[in-house]
Amino acid sequence: MEFSHFLSAMTPFNIALALFGVVAGTVIGSIPGLTATMALAVLVPITFSMDPASALILLGAIYTGAIYGGAYAAILLNTPGTPSAIATTFDGYPMAKRGDGDLAVALACFSSVFGGMVGAIALLLLAPPLSKVALAFGPVEYFWLSIFGLSLIASLSNGNLMKGLAGGAFGMILSTVGVAEISADIRLTFGSQVMIGGFGVVGALIGLYCIPVLIDLVATPERHLKVEENVKSVRISEAFKIAMRSKFNLIRSSVVGTLVGILPGAGGSVAGLVAYSEAKRTGKDHQKFGEGEPDGIIATESANSATVGGGFIPTLVLGIPGTPPDAIVLGALLVQGVRTGPAMFSQSGSIVYTFIYGLIIATILMLPAGLLIGRYAYKSIVTIPKAVLVPTVGFMTIIGTFAIRNSVSDVIIMLCLGVFGWLIARFGFAASPIVLGLILGPIAEQGFVQGWTIGAATNNLIGMFFGRPISQAIIAFTLMTLILPIYLAYKKQPHKEV
Amino acid sequence: MGTSSSKSQGQFGSLFISTLFIFIGLITLYDTTSYSDRDSQVFPQTVAIILIITAGTSLITRLLKPSNEGGFGEGIWWRRVLFISAMFITCFAMPIIGFLASGVIAFTSGLIAAMHDKWSFRTVLIYGCSGAIIMVSFFILFKFILFVPLP
Amino acid sequence: MLKKHIKNTVAIIAAATSFASIASAEINGPVNYIIPFGPGGESDISARLQQPFFKDKFGEDMVVSYQPGGGGAVGWASLNGLNGDGQTIMGVNLPHIIIKPAQKNVGFKTDDLNTFYMFHYTPDAIVVTADSPYQNLADLVADAKANPGQVTMSGSGKASANHLAQIKFDKLAGTLTTYVPFKGTGAAVTALLGKQTVAEWGYTTVGAKQGDAVRMLAVAMENRHPLFPDVPTFKELGYDMTGGAYRGIALPNSASAETTKMWSDMIAEINTDPAFQKKMLDGGFAMLDVDSAGMKDFMAARVEEYLKDAREAGLIK
Repeated sequence: MEFSHFLSAMTPFNIALALFGVVAGTVIGSIPGLTATMALAVLVPITFSMDPASALILLGAIYTGAIYGGAYAAILLNTPGTPSAIATTFDGYPMAKRGDGDLAVALACFSSVFGGMVGAIALLLLAPPLSKVALAFGPVEYFWLSIFGLSLIASLSNGNLMKGLAGGAFGMILSTVGVAEISADIRLTFGSQVMIGGFGVVGALIGLYCIPVLIDLVATPERHLKVEENVKSVRISEAFKIAMRSKFNLIRSSVVGTLVGILPGAGGSVAGLVAYSEAKRTGKDHQKFGEGEPDGIIATESANSATVGGGFIPTLVLGIPGTPPDAIVLGALLVQGVRTGPAMFSQSGSIVYTFIYGLIIATILMLPAGLLIGRYAYKSIVTIPKAVLVPTVGFMTIIGTFAIRNSVSDVIIMLCLGVFGWLIARFGFAASPIVLGLILGPIAEQGFVQGWTIGAATNNLIGMFFGRPISQAIIAFTLMTLILPIYLAYKKQPHKEV
Repeated sequence: MGTSSSKSQGQFGSLFISTLFIFIGLITLYDTTSYSDRDSQVFPQTVAIILIITAGTSLITRLLKPSNEGGFGEGIWWRRVLFISAMFITCFAMPIIGFLASGVIAFTSGLIAAMHDKWSFRTVLIYGCSGAIIMVSFFILFKFILFVPLP
Repeated sequence: MLKKHIKNTVAIIAAATSFASIASAEINGPVNYIIPFGPGGESDISARLQQPFFKDKFGEDMVVSYQPGGGGAVGWASLNGLNGDGQTIMGVNLPHIIIKPAQKNVGFKTDDLNTFYMFHYTPDAIVVTADSPYQNLADLVADAKANPGQVTMSGSGKASANHLAQIKFDKLAGTLTTYVPFKGTGAAVTALLGKQTVAEWGYTTVGAKQGDAVRMLAVAMENRHPLFPDVPTFKELGYDMTGGAYRGIALPNSASAETTKMWSDMIAEINTDPAFQKKMLDGGFAMLDVDSAGMKDFMAARVEEYLKDAREAGLIK
């Protein structure tokens, strides 16, 4: 019965749609500021005039492509094209700088396809039982998950823990600016209306990651990326070998990505950070992480692509969208008259299964399409003369930031953050802890406030925060992640000045 | 750039930024006193205290152990300043003269700032044309395909 | 002579502008429909439901875009700076546009918004899981009275429709429940389904979306919702409570009277389409028809009601 849905997904029209969607999504994702959410929102009306399953395949393909496309800008420009690709910059950009950009792009493609497949297959086979994960995660679990994510600061701050923590705290303060999301106050706007919307994550990413790179680029005549004299024509097989060598990392990160994707309110960026943190903790050469370690890219890219399938699990089974793109797909389904919820797989099975198979087809198509576009993207970034590259990217940051909320003041905020980020990076305060604080701050705050409210109401605060099994497991992982770099820093101490 | 100047620069800059962070923490603490809802106070207060402690610790360690870590390094200042100020001017000009026209300011200045080779008639022509193509195609993509209301 | 000339010119300009405003009272190309929230909420869903009907009836695309930030404040503060030619409209929500400006300066005032139509509302409802020990509202009230503060209820945000409903109901029933704010209805429902809280202050839409997984104990409507004939209203149970979150659409206030009237008529036409009504009711929404002519009275009544509730709840001074 299910196989017939596979065949109905395989019509030439649907395959063409999936291919178009993946290509369009990859291009959109690679432009900082252009998000999958925006592309999907524009395309929803198409679904009204189309067969619903085909329309959903198009939407799913764009989403998958966009998450992968985010890696290009992360690797080649140190700017996550989408928030999901934050952790891809950690090792991707160093790799590109030393001349391995093509290898990094190919690796990202393999990892994305693998992660995407794991997520999609989980959606196909295990959706109803896995949807329980979304429900098992209460406020306290989200709180501890964000603390786990923040513990990555310790290993990202390269021996200067205090500066890293200060950056993280600063990022969390930035995250509170504006109208509070769950409480009834307006914070840190000092009466100005410009800041009421707060610091948008996408704009902050562009500012903190991209602008400093551009400032440095204009200042010196050196090339943007190092290029080997005898460029090997194909590094696909090399990338494939590396990916195969790290199969355990690949599988673990994909599972992490699927699970985090199921959690509404976490999303691809958190999945990438968690998978990165785990890969670093268990990796043989953890010191190499952050300096161009292929395993770092494998971990983030497989995890963030796995969130696509994972995120559709609560969307379809519970009617609770995991991420904004999921919410748009859910809206499109509702307009079509498809009722989500536990009964959907039996009632509207044909649409849902055709959609899932379409997602799988799109993920497979991403392999050739992604490698091809990736090669092209790498080549153009390397060959475009710097004098044109810089203004092009600069123009992209402006138009991309503007498009997020159609606001000029967002662009100005982005630029100010960029200059500030560049300035403090000169003196040992890295941008990544700030971004981590900005992304994880709201999750930590909401989880804490809600957990505290419930715990205080039921007179069980300690049990609330420390007594729940999932929380205990996350706390244990956090402690392991924290102790490792402190131990390493202790070992390094005699040679390194603080 | 001499070692001595970069040494004082790195030391001074580090101290300055740590102080700035402490200051930001204090402002946050002050701002939280005006909140009506206890739920919105807890988190910023905690985080501000963490910021003050961590920035304070790095301030003190740096004072006790001055070092030449950090600094602006090599690079040509007028290019940096030109590039960034052009980007800002573009933002302020955008609502008045429209998106494309203001984009030209950013693009041209970025081009000049990033151009380290000799200018020739040919490069001016090629770069200028490619810039125009890039900007117009982005403009069309955003305005007419993605329906972003660009000014 | 010169005076006459100026007079003529003025007359011509006046004629031209009035002609232009009549001419502009028709839509001309795709319409940008801004939702000042992220996707997936009730505002988004109802806009998505309008989208195909708009295209059908008026032949132009309605492009829905999202401009989240500040709980809607970013969008509303920017609304009057947008072009009032009728090509851009924005969703507005009650009580948000009343409570937020009353709390602090958020860049717009309730009266600044040129709201031309209120097309539906989502009635407040108390929702529990299907296997909850509360079979009816009396069970919940009894438990809340026996264990003050221990009945936890999730809801979307603070100073929101859910929060006001919780405070109001506590007062009417003489109970003390604990309100746990979440980011959006989706997160509040997740918390309920995961049994993080024992009940949820939500809307009838939650009952429609979650189907058999949840049970609604009461809805804040005058009459029962057609989709849920078995769920009593609060009024039936002796609590004088009706209302919820109202949603409408606004134009920039530079829009001419003709444009406003045109839009009001267009949305009214969609709202009277039985196929649209059916989709809305199936989604758990409740229909509402307040057009541009009746908006002033409607808003005045709501402002009074919400500000009174919020003041009594201590949310505003």
